[in-house]
Amino acid sequence: MPLEILILKTVGDKTLGAVTVKLTGSLDTATAPELERQLAPVLAGQTKHLVFDLAQLKFISSAGLRVFSMARKQLKERGGQASFVNMQPQIQEVFEIMKSLPGVAIFKDMAELDAYLAARQRAHQENQ
Amino acid sequence: MTLKLHATPEEVMRAVEALQQFGQARQIPEKALFGLTLALEECASNIVNHALRRDARQMFRVTLEHTGSAMVIELRDHGPAFDPTQAPVPEMEAGGDDQPPGGWGIQLVRRYTDEMRHTREGEENILRLTKRLVQATSHK
Repeated sequence: MPLEILILKTVGDKTLGAVTVKLTGSLDTATAPELERQLAPVLAGQTKHLVFDLAQLKFISSAGLRVFSMARKQLKERGGQASFVNMQPQIQEVFEIMKSLPGVAIFKDMAELDAYLAARQRAHQENQ
Repeated sequence: MTLKLHATPEEVMRAVEALQQFGQARQIPEKALFGLTLALEECASNIVNHALRRDARQMFRVTLEHTGSAMVIELRDHGPAFDPTQAPVPEMEAGGDDQPPGGWGIQLVRRYTDEMRHTREGEENILRLTKRLVQATSHK
């Protein structure tokens, strides 16, 4: 199963703007390098927040988790973060397993993410 | 069913797709099949990336077997002797954030299979992954 990558930039919101990355298909040993390649220019810019929309992601392996980890690390160094939304149950379970492993901090940010998304939502409503 | 595969990521995913079709044809529950698929991807990737160092001329073999009460995946390669079942569990370190993620794959395999057994026969690594299927066919 291939991987489709759609990178969307949120416009007009300077403080809370984020880049959304929609993934469709399978993020695995064969497709992870392509995601890494496509994320490189995004990560090289000023983007602080990446939101990975995983609604259509059917499969993930550690090769894909490594790309997420790398992105998160780079964003964190500039005070940003990577967030993960709309996970299907089987993907959610992989994340839960990763969270339970000692020394893996990458996927422990769900609470922060909720706070971040709530803030974005509020800002959006106030602008209307 | 046995597949002979070249040591490339694309061939790993060819094995994964074969497993998905194999499992669906035998009505393996979706959840069990997802776990097996992930375990196969991780173990086969290890063989391709480490044992065979992505040398596409090298081959490895994957055998899929459904015994009724279990699914068994066997992987065979001629790389250096390596027993992934002995891989250490990542340890918590001071400020253990963002550790090198090398051991993640094997941890996932542990969680998604019931048994992982490695043997070395002659020049060959043999890794057997077993997933027990509880009432696999009597459900839905």
